[in-house]
Amino acid sequence: MRRVTYKPMDKKQQEDEDKQDLVKRGSFLKGMSASFAALAASGCGLRPPKEKIIPLMEQPEGVFPGETMWYATTCGACTAACGAIAKVRDGRPIKLEGNPEHPLSRGGLCARGQASVLDLYDSERLKQPLIGGKPAAWSEIDARVDKQKEKIVVVSETIVSPTLRAAVEAFLKKTKGSKLVEYDSISASAILDAHKRTHGVRALPAYHLGKARVIVSVGADFLGSWISPVEFTKDWAPNRQPDHEWDTMSWHAQFEAAHSLTGANADLRMAIKPSAYYETLRQIGLSVAKETGWKGPKPPAGPATPLAASRIDETASQLVRAAGRSLVLSGSNDIAVQSLVNLINAMLGNYGETLDLDPRGHQKAGDDSGFDGFLAELAAGSVGGVIFLSGNPVYDHPDGARLKELLVRTKLTVSMSGRLDETAAACQLVAPDHHALESWGDAEAVDAVVSLTQPTIAPIYKTRSAVESLLAWSGAPQSAHDFLRARWKKEYLKGKDFDQRWHDTLKQGVLVVEKRRSKNPDFRPASVAKLAVQAPGSVSAFELVVYPSVSVGDGRQANNPWLHETPDPMAKTTWGNHASFAPEDAKSLDIVEGRVVRLSANGKSMELPAHIQPGQALGTVAAALGYGRTKAGPVAANFPTEKMFPIDQEGLGGTDLYPISRTFDVMVEKTERMAALAKTQTYDLMTDPITGRRRPMVQETNLQDYFKDPTSGRGDILEAGPSLWPEHEYPGQKWAMAIDLNACTGCSGCVAACGIENNVPVVGKAEVRKSRDMHWLRIDRYYNEEGEAAFQPMLCQHCDNAPCETVCPVLATLHSSEGMNMQVYNRCVGTRYCANNCPYKVRRFNWFDYAHEDLAQNMALNPDITVRSRGVMEKCSFCVQRVQSAKADAKGENRPIADGEVKPACAQSCPADAIVFGDINDKNSEISKKVGDPRSYAVLSELGVAPSVFYMTKVRNKKV
Amino acid sequence: MCADLPYRLHHGGTPLLKILILFVLFFATPVRADEDSDFKRYAGMFQQKCAKCHTVGKGDRVGPDLKRVSQRRKREWLIGFIQKPSAYLDSDEEAIKMLKKFNNVRMEDLNLSTADVEGMLEYISAASEGPVGPEDLDLPEQDPYKRLQMPNENSGILVPGLVGSGVLLLLAAVCFHLGFVRISAFVFVLALGAGYWSFQGRATHRYPSEQQGYEPVQPMEFSHKNHAGTLRIACLYCHHAAEKSDVAGVPPANICMNCHKSVKKPKEDPTGRGEKDIKFLMDVWENRDKPNAERLEWIRVHDLADYVKFSHRVHVNNNMQCQECHGPVETMERMRQAAPLTMAWCVECHRKKPSEAPAHWKRAGATLDCAACHL
Repeated sequence: MRRVTYKPMDKKQQEDEDKQDLVKRGSFLKGMSASFAALAASGCGLRPPKEKIIPLMEQPEGVFPGETMWYATTCGACTAACGAIAKVRDGRPIKLEGNPEHPLSRGGLCARGQASVLDLYDSERLKQPLIGGKPAAWSEIDARVDKQKEKIVVVSETIVSPTLRAAVEAFLKKTKGSKLVEYDSISASAILDAHKRTHGVRALPAYHLGKARVIVSVGADFLGSWISPVEFTKDWAPNRQPDHEWDTMSWHAQFEAAHSLTGANADLRMAIKPSAYYETLRQIGLSVAKETGWKGPKPPAGPATPLAASRIDETASQLVRAAGRSLVLSGSNDIAVQSLVNLINAMLGNYGETLDLDPRGHQKAGDDSGFDGFLAELAAGSVGGVIFLSGNPVYDHPDGARLKELLVRTKLTVSMSGRLDETAAACQLVAPDHHALESWGDAEAVDAVVSLTQPTIAPIYKTRSAVESLLAWSGAPQSAHDFLRARWKKEYLKGKDFDQRWHDTLKQGVLVVEKRRSKNPDFRPASVAKLAVQAPGSVSAFELVVYPSVSVGDGRQANNPWLHETPDPMAKTTWGNHASFAPEDAKSLDIVEGRVVRLSANGKSMELPAHIQPGQALGTVAAALGYGRTKAGPVAANFPTEKMFPIDQEGLGGTDLYPISRTFDVMVEKTERMAALAKTQTYDLMTDPITGRRRPMVQETNLQDYFKDPTSGRGDILEAGPSLWPEHEYPGQKWAMAIDLNACTGCSGCVAACGIENNVPVVGKAEVRKSRDMHWLRIDRYYNEEGEAAFQPMLCQHCDNAPCETVCPVLATLHSSEGMNMQVYNRCVGTRYCANNCPYKVRRFNWFDYAHEDLAQNMALNPDITVRSRGVMEKCSFCVQRVQSAKADAKGENRPIADGEVKPACAQSCPADAIVFGDINDKNSEISKKVGDPRSYAVLSELGVAPSVFYMTKVRNKKV
Repeated sequence: MCADLPYRLHHGGTPLLKILILFVLFFATPVRADEDSDFKRYAGMFQQKCAKCHTVGKGDRVGPDLKRVSQRRKREWLIGFIQKPSAYLDSDEEAIKMLKKFNNVRMEDLNLSTADVEGMLEYISAASEGPVGPEDLDLPEQDPYKRLQMPNENSGILVPGLVGSGVLLLLAAVCFHLGFVRISAFVFVLALGAGYWSFQGRATHRYPSEQQGYEPVQPMEFSHKNHAGTLRIACLYCHHAAEKSDVAGVPPANICMNCHKSVKKPKEDPTGRGEKDIKFLMDVWENRDKPNAERLEWIRVHDLADYVKFSHRVHVNNNMQCQECHGPVETMERMRQAAPLTMAWCVECHRKKPSEAPAHWKRAGATLDCAACHL
């Protein structure tokens, strides 16, 4: 990147010029009558600010100012390592989207991955290395690390990059008695340990959900946060299409305690306590063994669980019916539970079909016992030095507080975190790593699928790539780029033409290495002997369920306002976590929503507001991890609103639950305090509370009814009356959108994508509480009569007879010749009539000039879109900028726009491909087919507003 | 007779003459207009697609002089090459020879249809036989200090203005009658102001945000008159992003250096300023990699409001000439904003029906959707 130095303009020269301009513009004053003096006075001052144009000195070939460039890279937000493409404008990455070429993520990207672009411009990032909290030079850091010659422990979260692993190994080789300890904040250690026990290899399987016709998940939120949610959603969603042939739609059962979004999408959802996971699986295992005639050792027999036997039998028979095409998953971190899961999958013959140990997954390699061992060594004083390569264990490990104390006594402590987080603050040296968008690297999330990370911007601060730091400390300094290329030449791109193939791979972003597929290791029947019947947990206490929140994850992006304002898919809360209770428990404890409760276990207690969650297992309390960070930055602590509107700071940053995350039983006490949750949705039911009738926004049916009548599930929809409006003519395109409620999982990727693409402001907790959230696209979540949840993305419906258009007194909202409802910000005077007249409540009003004072973060703004000011109404534009840009491309190339060429931000990022956008005037387009489908309906069609957004009835695969 | 025809018509003429002329026009115009519009269209296209690298009869530039190119090469070859240069530059012997001759600068794919290429060849043949250039197009002469009169603009202000003025006059009279002389005088002035505004002021005075005629002193005295006018360097040679990107961009220094590596001083330089500026440019160029090096800085002249998006490439790809919005830049010593760049002014062109549009445009009747510009 070029560095720009601004030459301060000579003040006198500037004044002279200004005067000169004024004289020339003097005609404005000439002959102006006195009554207009006031206008004139303000008029002359109204010259646009003087702007400078500083061109590049040397412009690289093919790069133009204002042109969008796309670079394939790898998302660095978590270890799932999805393929991403970075949109770069004028040298700045401004948006991350999924890379359609990546065989796992296939063009999807979750909210956290997309929001990671803002982390790049976070002004809380470290700007140079630190020694003892003071800025230092890199050479000083290197000298200090070199002093420690032996017994260094490198602590890291799962290293998914083979090149980084090679660099770590090079470092370990050089330092005697050193070792690598991997851990995961959201641990999957038990899955690996259980496979060690049952299959003899400590490995994470590669899951192929796409091949599974029956999926039974016991506490695994695989569509929201478990291991690789984007990949799993891409696999899961296509099988959820009901077809006119039997047995095409997959069947999905979810047994879980907290209501996850995966549970909301299941055909059968049973709320059970975590302590019942084992027993449930044992019963399922027994039934499966019976039905398959399993010859090997069976799960231990014992008393039946209180769980309805019919549900267990149904699950087992579904699994057996699809043996070899089914999959049992569990999110539990208990080895016994995971061993049972392995046994059931082995009985069903799923290994080698729907899950594989070779090729295996690399997204989680953490070893809980290994980390505990490291803590013991640290306590014993046998560790010479610790290097925290990644991860933030002081915060996100249950023993973080102890680790912090032990670090004080250690000779050398280095953190390579890019920000001064809890762990970095506890270390003597901080050697900050680049952001993923500044670094060279690679990732192998699943065997043989290797993706490349390439920088899309030159390092903004004086940071250094972790690979380079490790290589420097191992005595062989080399640039990360050279090291990566050399390794790739040796490992993946052997043979001739390396440069060309390297270039091609870089362009593609990912390489699928041809590997001989070897056999899965066999199931070891002896391992079953270790399984026993478990005693039920204590009845008096509440069982604690902690989960990574879909929006904030494990908390590493806690300074990212976009994520804090992305609502939790189920609870619809923003800015902070809460303790969820089942409605019955809340009643017996006499707590209401917002009542602060105290959870205590092991002498630690946490306070957080209560939330009442239908569908939660009785006797459990669930809370999200990733909140309550003390050293993440101002956003995690008390977001900008505090500056703009002073409010009390209760629980703004949420509560940290890591310290008690390994405990099961907690005591729950009610406190006297109340803390209102900042929810974006306060009406939850599909039934009308007054009439008791079902409101037909979300229309749903079940598979059997669907086969009888594809239009089933319509409910009592009134006919729209005759229209008083003349019909619009759309001579060219008529844009429309179809959203498949069967595919939509509610993951909120689209919400994040929309906000990032369209410069949607973040308003903060206080404003969300006043229902002034600004999301152009929100996901409504409703519960039906049976307590089943359904998601519905709701955005401007671009009605043909739009009620907003008729009430605007200044013509700021108009209908386009292509069926879009346009909002003209510079005309809007803020009467808010349009919002009042909108039946979908999708219009958003700028009550304030929302925070744009962080100049670094403003670098992530999309330059194609106006930044709206106070007093202006805004709403979804169908990403009209993308439509315009595609039209300009097509005209420049003398061709019509191809179907699927325009993808709004929401449709592009959707991991479930639930959103289809296109030209409805083109009868062969995908959108025309979707709209013609019998499942398609329009929300509130009885109003006669003729929306351009269509929804597809949700079909559940359940027996009635 | 023909020479003074407009004069005669203006002064009436005989009915017979009028009928005769109408008759002639009725049959003659379409044919003539078609030829004419084709010619202009391809003249415009040549300016926007070819002129940055090629001349007709003015010698080789980045690419070869195209004078009488149709006689030198086979027609099929030419059409094929212009449509898909990349294919030819890789395999065709002739093309590879030319590529070597012209420093391996590859011609880019222009995405032209066969009809367009044929039209362009016709234009080049015509241009080879006589002086043809941007002057062939009816480009606007815009006086920067005179407000352009826009039909329809501000209509609707006249009547309310007059009514307001009348009401104010009445009020002034009432005040005077009641003895409030000062208030009456004040209201009277207001009334006069309103009257002036509704009759003439609204047409004479510009809106405060309108910057027509803005001509700031630039840090360097770069002369468009010299570069684009005298030397006839095509606009898109330097502002090459205009056909690819929404932003035309100010050329990077390496574009300047293509010529200024050898051109150290201007031919005519009475004040010596030219040589000084070129020396400054050279200094900046040579010191470009040093820390805290000086940069070329320009003061932005054309600056639209932030809520408007203008796409250069869309307009350039429609064969619109840069002068249509930027005025006669090739005559400007210092860059100035020639057009008002107000929405009314933009919409003037967007409203033009195909029959009213300049002949060199590819399409007319552009979108009037708000969201075309207000994103």
